[in-house]
Amino acid sequence: MESNNKTQLTKRDITRTYLRWWWTAEISNSFERMQSLAYAASMGPILEKLYGKGSQGLKDGLQRHLAFFNTQAIWGALIIGTTVAMEEQKASGEDIPDETITSFKSGLMGPLAGIGDSLDFGTIQTIFYSLAASFAVTGNFLGAFFIVAFSVIHFFVGLGFMHTGYQQGRKSIMDILQSGRINAMIQTASILGMFMMGALSANMVRLETPLEFNVSGSVINVQETLDGIVPGLLPLAAVLLVYWALKKDKFTLSQLMVIITIVCLVGAFFGIF
Amino acid sequence: MQSVLLMAIVSGLWYWFSAGLAGYTLFSMLKSPTFIGFCLGLLWGDPITGIMAGGSIEVVYLGLVAPGGNIPSDKALAALIAVPLVLMSDMSVELAVSVAVPVGAIGVLINNLRRYFNAIFVHRADELAVEGDVKGIWRNATWYPLALGFVMRFPIVFVANYFGADLINQLLTIIPEWVLHGMSVMGGLLPALGFATTIFMIGKREYIPLFFIGYFLVEYSGLTTIGAAIFGLMIALIISYMGGFPRLRGEIAAESSREEVSPKTARRTNQDAIDEMMGRK
Repeated sequence: MESNNKTQLTKRDITRTYLRWWWTAEISNSFERMQSLAYAASMGPILEKLYGKGSQGLKDGLQRHLAFFNTQAIWGALIIGTTVAMEEQKASGEDIPDETITSFKSGLMGPLAGIGDSLDFGTIQTIFYSLAASFAVTGNFLGAFFIVAFSVIHFFVGLGFMHTGYQQGRKSIMDILQSGRINAMIQTASILGMFMMGALSANMVRLETPLEFNVSGSVINVQETLDGIVPGLLPLAAVLLVYWALKKDKFTLSQLMVIITIVCLVGAFFGIF
Repeated sequence: MQSVLLMAIVSGLWYWFSAGLAGYTLFSMLKSPTFIGFCLGLLWGDPITGIMAGGSIEVVYLGLVAPGGNIPSDKALAALIAVPLVLMSDMSVELAVSVAVPVGAIGVLINNLRRYFNAIFVHRADELAVEGDVKGIWRNATWYPLALGFVMRFPIVFVANYFGADLINQLLTIIPEWVLHGMSVMGGLLPALGFATTIFMIGKREYIPLFFIGYFLVEYSGLTTIGAAIFGLMIALIISYMGGFPRLRGEIAAESSREEVSPKTARRTNQDAIDEMMGRK
């Protein structure tokens, strides 16, 4: 059933491939092959349309896209968009070896995952979510709105990447990776993120001491004394201590949770907090 | 209508579906404790308490990225058990955070279990690919793993919420005052963990002074969060227009511009950070 006519993919095909990828990217994630099943499942209908139902091209294509794959799915949409274009050219008779497609995928999944994880999730999402939480703890429904807003924006960013990848192919990814824009975005987001962590720590970390000392007749209130020097010293010290413990590689996250529990309980027992 | 049974069913289904990870940007929303708090609060007729509890849990887990799908702690499970308990029992919001944290750790085990079992489906897909069965591959990529997830996830949350409120109410009368006080101190202190994790993720020493500017700006002026965000964004844009930090400019470019990087190189930074925090190294 190999046909020589070029099958033209429409914009709708590309959008639907993105929707499949968006829906299924993480569902079948396994330790063995990560997102490979999701990739093949998303490409399936495109391959069927290009090579024909039951054709050898389809069978080869499905197996090709079951190769190990793992990335951040939003930036990874650039990759899947590009491979759709590559498959389209291959199906129309151009000589594109299997290895070209596979090595293109495995070469770029790492760098794009790096950007996606650190920029989208590590920084921008954290800023959105921390703003959301700061509203939420005061009982303000705007908190829920920020969470939804990030998801909606993120969805459309991925859709944009999908179409960019399809229309401009592998060159678009290299351009994006090499231009200074990504770098500038990561820096701007990191600076804002770091600033917001400071501002929110001041708002949301709470630690006070009721300790009082009786020095030669006059009562010294520890909390008031500390506030007199610099406000917010205790919460700041807590954040910096935890950061130091993570950075120096002395403790793991779970150990820190246990330590905080013990410190709080012991402190409460002796009336330090 | 406040029905414990309904709450237990909804939160059980919620855990099953959100942890099934359908819809790449959908599940990040469904797993957010803030969003969970708001929705379950609505269901119970008290969205304000719900979102307050959710937001408090959210802060603890800020900055935890899941590179390669390895979640360091399951904040959705934490929220889906702690938020209903706040709504249905006499437990305070501060206490909820201390209850949530150990629960979140259990979720990691369930998630790892899921990813071992998912290998079954990729093997079946290998066979179906040879036959060119597009629909079969789709079923193995979506519906079967989701169905498996139901068995693994729904019962835990359902049972915890169906019987949990009574248990918590009984415990609250037995537990001595100083323990309760200690746990609510903990509720105020645990957010430090979330912020420190984020600072650790963003890393680079050039950014550290910005943390202190943000902290003391709010301490001294009592600025609101949105106010702080405006100042922060402007500072970030100014620094970026001036060309950013020169040392970091080279570093990031070198990390991401090479096409021949081995598949996981660029991922390693984050993965390492998480590994270190989880003590896998």
